Amino acid sequence: MPDPNLRIMIRLSHRNHSMFENAEITIDELPRVDSVDWQGMDPKFARRKLTEAAIGFVFTLIGIGTLQTIFGVAFADEGMSISFGWLWLVPVLVGIPIFSWPLISVPKKGYAVRDKDIVYKSGVFWRTVTAVPFNRIQHVEKSSTPLDRRFNIATLQLFTAGGSGGDLKIHGLSAKTAEKLRTFILNKVGLSVEQD
Amino acid sequence: MSKTDRKRWRHTSPLAAIFYLGRIFKAIGQNAVQSFAPLAAFLVAYEGNLMGKIVFGIAAFVVITVSGAVIRYMFFRYRITNDSVLIREGVLKKTQLDIKFDRIQAINTKQNLIFRAFDLVTVEFDTAGSAKQEGHLPAIKSALASSLRERIRSADRSVDVEDELKAESRSLLRLDNRDMIRIGLSNNRALIFLALLSPLIDNLANRIEETIDESSLLAILEGAGFAVAGGIGLAISIAILVLLLLGAASVVGAFLRYHRFELCTEGDVLRSTGGLLTRHEHSVNLAKIQSLRAIQNPILRLFGRFRLRAKQASSGKPGKGKQFIIPICEPDQLPMLEDEVFGEEFKEFDLRPRSDSFRPIAKSYMRSRVVLTGLSPAFVATSFFYLIAGPISLVFLLWIPLNAFGVWTKYRKFGFTVAGNGMVLRKGFFGYQTTAFLHRKVQRISVTQTLLQERRGLATIRFYLASGSLRLPYVDFQMAKGLRDYVLYKVESSRRAWH
Repeated sequence: MPDPNLRIMIRLSHRNHSMFENAEITIDELPRVDSVDWQGMDPKFARRKLTEAAIGFVFTLIGIGTLQTIFGVAFADEGMSISFGWLWLVPVLVGIPIFSWPLISVPKKGYAVRDKDIVYKSGVFWRTVTAVPFNRIQHVEKSSTPLDRRFNIATLQLFTAGGSGGDLKIHGLSAKTAEKLRTFILNKVGLSVEQD
Repeated sequence: MSKTDRKRWRHTSPLAAIFYLGRIFKAIGQNAVQSFAPLAAFLVAYEGNLMGKIVFGIAAFVVITVSGAVIRYMFFRYRITNDSVLIREGVLKKTQLDIKFDRIQAINTKQNLIFRAFDLVTVEFDTAGSAKQEGHLPAIKSALASSLRERIRSADRSVDVEDELKAESRSLLRLDNRDMIRIGLSNNRALIFLALLSPLIDNLANRIEETIDESSLLAILEGAGFAVAGGIGLAISIAILVLLLLGAASVVGAFLRYHRFELCTEGDVLRSTGGLLTRHEHSVNLAKIQSLRAIQNPILRLFGRFRLRAKQASSGKPGKGKQFIIPICEPDQLPMLEDEVFGEEFKEFDLRPRSDSFRPIAKSYMRSRVVLTGLSPAFVATSFFYLIAGPISLVFLLWIPLNAFGVWTKYRKFGFTVAGNGMVLRKGFFGYQTTAFLHRKVQRISVTQTLLQERRGLATIRFYLASGSLRLPYVDFQMAKGLRDYVLYKVESSRRAWH
């Protein structure tokens, strides 16, 4: 239930201004973001994230292998017998979070397209739901990195006015969906401009 | 309107060279000192006496800068077409600027003493585009500037004929000399300077004390037994002197910038004029204001005054937005100014920070802040340094009450009021900042919950405006959702342009 105080406040102010642009409405009649059907990200997105993690992991392994060799050679001359096997703890400690993170975070992401806006949710510890009305979108950008293209995935970026990170980034759409969304949104943006 | 020739490329008044001279001096002052290295080298190599060198150096400096300014003037041409201002400038690097009327947010003018004598102004175009691409028309007739302003106003599609008819100037606010003193003393920069200078002042005092120790003054002071007291007294008096000087400088600055400040309204435009030597005229289209903020720092609170800042859409970096500033106003004037900005759309709100209409945020804010910024760092620091330094590291625990007090102060300053067409958010630490905006100006909204907030049924809501984002932390989750849905409804059902 929405806060009753808020409802009273909004009702009150509408009574004062009923001659203006809006007829009286109540909070309960408003379309709710909560009640949308969330669309998940592309199923391949988690795999794409895991591949990225794997590439990073391989580089970590190579780096540690090199370090161990260098240390081994450097300290062998000193005649010391220090084991650098503990270095291999690093990939284990790093590996667990980086491989499990995509599996945790990707299912938390989702988007929903409504008639007048697009809603995007993300975050594991900080759960954010962002809503961008179509009639505030300045332009739309679709992009994909080489790795994205390998998995047929794209990023859609919606720009609104204002300097404070004035964009919403939706990563992990299938290339086809991203293109469809882009066309749909641009169409909507165009319509809202004509209305103004 | 007949004064603006639509066909020809035109030059501005030759006095525009003064404007460029100012720019050249500014550039030299900022970073181009090295460009005079050739001149310096020449002077060193130049055979002759010192006097000759100085005279030659000054003459060369004057010739170089003045001819630079004149050349820049000669290469500057502009043309006014039906829907835009075209500018061609640049000696080596040619620049062509096409400023469309409907992109212009506001026209601001500056008039220095010489220009005032010849009835000339420098026009600055305030565009919504990138901050770099700002156009200037230096030294044009002020009549041309006002006819240009008229045309840009009529090119704006948000202006309708009715507004056009009643567009006569109405004075809203005038500031007198006492206000200048208040502005000067309450200037944030004066406070910052003070904070920055305090270690410097200490150093200075030390230095002076040392000098005194060594000098013959020592004998006199020691004789009276005032060696230490004298040193401290001197340090304090120097600190006070610096304080007074800074205050005076700030007051002088206020006089220079805001002398005979007047705020007036013309139809849908808010305009301010003010300044002692150079008169600044600043205007803003009311429809383009994204948010209105009333600021009250401790000194302004002492005076019982507010500073108002109307923000327009910003481009690029945050904090770089265009602002329209009303440097000082009385609490009684606030409602009138709010009305001017928001009109009929948003009558019921109150920017005064101590108004009863503000609702508090959830108390859990304090708990989470104290744990995050107070307890955890203090315990970590204490336990870490205990191993090294022993019991002395317990002083870190003093951070806890200090932080708790700070958190409590911040908590108390948070507040919000929601009305049908807009809302007011309040925050602050030493002072207050209350910001009002219309729902329909919102660009997007996000509602965020941390795990802890989720357990307590709370959320943080962030409104993204074209002028920057505003945060309302720790409010009831259900209310946050209701508010978001309502604001979205207002945005999506609004058929008026937000800009």
